[in-house]
Amino acid sequence: MQSILDAISLGGTYALAALGLGLVFGVLRLVNFAHAELITISAYIMVVTNDLPLIFSFLLAALTATILAIITELTVYRRLRGTGPAIMLIASFGLSVGLQKSYELIFGALPRSAAVAPWMTGSVQIANLNVTISSLVTVAMTIVILIAMGYLVDYTTLGLQLRAASADFKTARLLGVRSNRLITSSFAISGVLAAFVGFIIVVENPQVEPMFGLNITILALVGIVIGGISTLRGCALGGFIVGFILSLLNTFLGNARVYAYSYLFLAVVIILLVRPGGILSKRNEMERV
Amino acid sequence: MSNNKLVGLTRFKPIELLVPLIVVFVLSITIGLLSASLELAVQFALCNLVMVLALQVFIGNSGVLSFGHGAFAMIGAWVSGMSTASERVKGNALALENLWQPLVGWNFNLYVSIIFAMIAGGLIAAISGAFLMRLNGLAAGIATFAVLGLFYNFFFNNTKLGPGSQALPAVPKFSGVYEPLLLSIIAIILVYCLNVSSIGRKLRATREDLMAAPALGISIQKVRWIAFTLSGALAGLSGGMYVHVAGTWQVQDYYLVFTFLTLAMLVIGGSASMWGAVVGTLVVTAVGQVLLLWEQGKSLLGLKIDLPNGARSLIIAASLVGMLLWRSSGLTNGQEFKLRVRNKL
Repeated sequence: MQSILDAISLGGTYALAALGLGLVFGVLRLVNFAHAELITISAYIMVVTNDLPLIFSFLLAALTATILAIITELTVYRRLRGTGPAIMLIASFGLSVGLQKSYELIFGALPRSAAVAPWMTGSVQIANLNVTISSLVTVAMTIVILIAMGYLVDYTTLGLQLRAASADFKTARLLGVRSNRLITSSFAISGVLAAFVGFIIVVENPQVEPMFGLNITILALVGIVIGGISTLRGCALGGFIVGFILSLLNTFLGNARVYAYSYLFLAVVIILLVRPGGILSKRNEMERV
Repeated sequence: MSNNKLVGLTRFKPIELLVPLIVVFVLSITIGLLSASLELAVQFALCNLVMVLALQVFIGNSGVLSFGHGAFAMIGAWVSGMSTASERVKGNALALENLWQPLVGWNFNLYVSIIFAMIAGGLIAAISGAFLMRLNGLAAGIATFAVLGLFYNFFFNNTKLGPGSQALPAVPKFSGVYEPLLLSIIAIILVYCLNVSSIGRKLRATREDLMAAPALGISIQKVRWIAFTLSGALAGLSGGMYVHVAGTWQVQDYYLVFTFLTLAMLVIGGSASMWGAVVGTLVVTAVGQVLLLWEQGKSLLGLKIDLPNGARSLIIAASLVGMLLWRSSGLTNGQEFKLRVRNKL
């Protein structure tokens, strides 16, 4: 039971990270490696401002991540628009390494730690089963955020524009979608999502170092490719699948759990071979140029 | 392309091959003779050069991003290191106590082991490429990343076939810059010949237009697979060289930092040409060395700037992003070397 709940909560966390990446990818065709650093900075902020009430500390983290996301868009990605996905990918890779090194200079190479929300590490008994509070909170939080994102995407003007832009950016612009504003907002939302992810991880693992957010971002990237990068639903689903499988592999592989990533990556390659566009994609969908 | 000229060469021009060769040769020899630490730096730079050339063959010509080459270098280095480390070391090192017995007795000459490294890199690339070359764009990038992650995770945890997360010690080293230099020169010639060959031109055709190339009778999957295999062999060679320069094999050496650094070199130089790979490696290495001196608090030609630790990688990362913003086709603009004849109007 605990392992299922763990798997669901890890899956949920990955889904949030994948959603943040997918949002930006949808409008910009950009795989934002630097998303990892948004997660890292929010975790750092939460650790540094741990003396403040949790809600303030979180808001500060979310604000910083959002501002950083917008800055990267304004200074780098906006100027690179139109150069092609490969160049943007490499740029985001460079940006990611650059930010990591800046964190190293600012916060030091050694991990910074603080007990963020210590009440979450305890456990409660539900129907004779011990469950950790953090996994309950994570699951609840993820469900709320996913519903909120679903509402945002399906029922608001911004969501409509997002969907239109990720289906066909050019036509969306012709129909009056303000591209710069839309892209900036999607970066901002991805910053907020990154802050949530940073919060969830920092509770479980309070040792924040410059490469803190890298692992989950790489796996979330894998998730969005598996799920299907063309839709936000696919991204979230893919992220969830990756987290869920990884958590289950960790539980059931026993001593071989160190190879969990190998199995996962193998699964990725196989899924991509069968469905290059992801699980939720329609067959024979050509990549848009 | 922005200047409406197709980037990349089409015909063999001796000067395009000779100048890079001479530049690499002269710089390696003169700088390598200055001091022992510079000699080592030149050796590492030559390893990186071969890796960047490997990336250029595939990424530059096909336009498909690959993060998987680190894995091929890792394999090449593993084969070359494991087959040359002495039996005594492999039998007694603490990190290798679980090593599979037949590997302990595995012992070859250094040069033979480098050929094995190339074969191993090429073989793994051929096998993975046979599956992966159907993919385009992002899916290809992520799938090759998965290959890198898979091999990294495997070697990092496996103590039967290697030292796991620890280091394989006492791998014999090259005696000087000459051996890696010779290997790099061979790599430059190979890459240039491949780029001007029909395979190279077909591959660039697929890069420019995924629709038109098949209409000309080019099998995208086939030309990509051939280039991927050959560039995998070159990456294996680079790994095989690296292990004999470092004198040790450690799986972490071929993971993200290595991938990032070599990709940065390729992009900064200009990924569309062999000359770009050479220039990128030279420039990034030179800048890195200067920054390293400053990081260590030494002065260069009387100029001394105190840099905190870690500033070097930050500056390299920033210059990568800056280069993309300023000139996304790199310093060489994706052109091979040419003597400038300015037509003044």
